Amino acid sequence: MNPRKLVVLLLAGAGSLFLPSLLLGQASENSCVTCHAALSDSRLSGPVEAFASDVHAVAGFNCVSCHGGDAQETGLAAMDPGRGYVGVPSGREVVALCGRCHSDAEFMRRYDPSLRVDQVAEYRSSVHGFQLFERGDQRVATCASCHPAHSIKPPTDPSSSVYPLNLAETCSGCHADTEYMAPYTLPVDQHEKYQRSVHWRMLSEEGDLSAPTCNDCHGNHGAAPPGVSWVGNVCGQCHTVMASMFSESFHSQIFAMLGNPGCATCHANHEIVETGDELLGLQEGAVCSRCHSDSSTGGRIAVEMRGLIDSLRVEVFRADSILSRAEHAGMEVSQAQFDLNSATTSLVSARTAVHSFSGDAVRVEVEGGLEVTAQAYARGQDAMDELQVRRIGLAVSVSIILLLIVGLVAKIRQVESKPE
Amino acid sequence: MADNGGRARQSRRGFVNWILGTGVGGLLAAVLYPVGRYLIPPEAGESAAASVTLSIRPEDVPPNSGQIFKFGNQPGILVRTPSGELRAFSAACPHLGCIVQYRDDFSRVWCACHNGHFDLNGRNIEGPPPGPLEIYAVNVREGQIVVSRDV
Repeated sequence: MNPRKLVVLLLAGAGSLFLPSLLLGQASENSCVTCHAALSDSRLSGPVEAFASDVHAVAGFNCVSCHGGDAQETGLAAMDPGRGYVGVPSGREVVALCGRCHSDAEFMRRYDPSLRVDQVAEYRSSVHGFQLFERGDQRVATCASCHPAHSIKPPTDPSSSVYPLNLAETCSGCHADTEYMAPYTLPVDQHEKYQRSVHWRMLSEEGDLSAPTCNDCHGNHGAAPPGVSWVGNVCGQCHTVMASMFSESFHSQIFAMLGNPGCATCHANHEIVETGDELLGLQEGAVCSRCHSDSSTGGRIAVEMRGLIDSLRVEVFRADSILSRAEHAGMEVSQAQFDLNSATTSLVSARTAVHSFSGDAVRVEVEGGLEVTAQAYARGQDAMDELQVRRIGLAVSVSIILLLIVGLVAKIRQVESKPE
Repeated sequence: MADNGGRARQSRRGFVNWILGTGVGGLLAAVLYPVGRYLIPPEAGESAAASVTLSIRPEDVPPNSGQIFKFGNQPGILVRTPSGELRAFSAACPHLGCIVQYRDDFSRVWCACHNGHFDLNGRNIEGPPPGPLEIYAVNVREGQIVVSRDV
């Protein structure tokens, strides 16, 4: 049986059961709550309990606000379609119901002046909206799929289904369900892949709520896959420097010609793992090697950039190691350690400059960093040489003291052994 | 009597030997312990400097400007806000550790590596930095700027 019909029948049955008592007593303030709270079927009583903490209940709305009817009446009279009763609304009706208030700027201003009022317009532009309105697909997500009816919380509430930490789980409710997604030509491993990404790690482990989840790349009400040509724009919302370098590079034109999805070509989309120098170059595992070989100019530039970055990385490590050893041995090297911080900045900048795909851009950063590391290493070496001098001095003075002690002991024994 | 006198001398000699032995042992320990500590020093932790007196004079920091300073072996940034207040933060970007700088055109602290922005309270407000800059306390004592941890 159609679930909607089932609910309406159950409601009607429940209404008739309680009709006598309701007719005897006075109409309560909200007959929907009075009747539904007493029902044993959790599908009918559950909404009453859940709605108590719903953001709409807190703002003073009640059942009639969405379901129509008349809560001052009792029994079936309260659920009279003639009084606007809609029971369980269809997907299209849900969008219209929510939009009735949420698309009305003047009305919404009374409750939350900062809340946007273009959600329905955005929804219509989404893949979900297209499927619903243009293809009549009743299985696609509507407002209540992500903002569960009767328990809607603001997105800032950690228990909300659309709180950043919960959103991926909400979307995957459908998108990771193989059976549910079977009619569509979509993969169902996005959530699994996303959970292996650096973005999810930052969000879930580091508590960085600005790290992206589904809606940050796909949009929320206007959810759709970013087009191939928009990927750079989407990533560039946060990764501005890399996106800018990439858009000015030769690669952006080539990728567009080949139909490659910009940033995602090298970094993937849902499974964006933490990047490292190993992605650069032509060795196994390097992303450049997917298109380039050592006989191509691009391949040679990739190897050159990797070599430059490796050289600076090694020098930063070398300088840092000798300074740490000197510090550990008690030498004062804090100025050199302080100066070495700028080489780390150069190393990060060189890695960023890779997105310009220019060996010269990387070289500029690396050469600046190498000057700093050379100075830092020399100061570390000086400190270690000075340490060596101090150690030799210590050994000499300790030897003299030990000799004195030995001499003293020998003298005492000599005095003791003299015949009395 | 002679035996008693011999025993007394033995006892005095034993006592003197004990004093000398202990003294020499103590002397050896006093020499070798610092040598050992010198050759095998304790683990050096992160720079634990709690405060630093800057060589920058307050009047040398104009409004809407910032300067990098050395705090232990780490960089800090001293900012004078457009309204004239002195503030100080760690200058290591919490994203990947680049040294941040002051942008007078934005009146913000800015990281050039990945275009991260911080407001004048050190809060990350734009770009990839995952957290705020560490805040230091700034005091002016007898015409000198003193920056301290533990605000």
